[in-house]
Amino acid sequence: MLAAIRPDSFNLPLFLHVLGATLTFGTTATVAILGFAGTRADPERSLWLRGLAFKIAFFVLVPAFIVMRAAAQWIVGKEYPGSTKTPGWVDVGFIVTEPGALLIIVLLVLAFLASRRPAFRAAVAVPWLATIYLVALGVAWFAMTGKPGS
Amino acid sequence: MGLYEWLLVFHVTGAFFLIGGVVIAGLLNASAIVVDRPPSQVATLFGLIRFALPLIGIGMLFTLAFGLWLVHEAPWNYGYGETWVIVALVLWALAGWLGSVDGRYQRGTGELAARLAAAGDAPSAELNARLRNVRALAISYGSGLAAFAVLGIMIWKPGA
Repeated sequence: MLAAIRPDSFNLPLFLHVLGATLTFGTTATVAILGFAGTRADPERSLWLRGLAFKIAFFVLVPAFIVMRAAAQWIVGKEYPGSTKTPGWVDVGFIVTEPGALLIIVLLVLAFLASRRPAFRAAVAVPWLATIYLVALGVAWFAMTGKPGS
Repeated sequence: MGLYEWLLVFHVTGAFFLIGGVVIAGLLNASAIVVDRPPSQVATLFGLIRFALPLIGIGMLFTLAFGLWLVHEAPWNYGYGETWVIVALVLWALAGWLGSVDGRYQRGTGELAARLAAAGDAPSAELNARLRNVRALAISYGSGLAAFAVLGIMIWKPGA
């Protein structure tokens, strides 16, 4: 009966993909929470919270994102080998993760600068970028699970 | 999209909320522990954990309710007596029970940190001991691991 759902060989990459995606979601939300808290705190506490947001983004969000994206590529390679056309719901995943990687890089640079400069005005962009990425992740998991149009 | 796909969307949304909330709480908790911090910083971090609680609550509810409905609606003749369903329910209940025990303990730690912060923010051996209590950490991280284990069960479905 399981064969009707997916081959056994898909389980490990699927698990790693979902694990990476949930970790990416939780970590991005943590960065947003710390970033917003930093915008409302006194200067000393704000710098500490921004530094924490940067460390969590660098040491947890980036590895989680890599696990999610690499496992996605692994499972797409198995399910749609070679030049097989991928369905729209898979393409949504690429749309979210590829510009998403760029967004995370920008977020990291801004978070790093915000953690070093108390008067860095663009620090406010960090939690908003994280929030935008949370919404994008929501769109991706809707497409991945509902598979609309397929 | 049919009923099955919509149920799956809400079930997976619950899983993201649940594990996302666990990750938020775990990261903020770990941030309070990895280095010695003044009570005011510990109080701030524990205060921010409150944002994870609605996610965990909604996640617990959605994963269970839509998960049970999915077992009934899935086109693969799943039954409620199958091993993977029972193991997932046991792990779900274990995660919830450990999480509630941990939540009470963490609330006490947050309140102690807030009191110490208001009373001069001096380092406290009592606060450090509570933060690094091995039994409490085992309960806390055990709860999170049980939630991650359910994720694995959902994918491998042992016995299906």
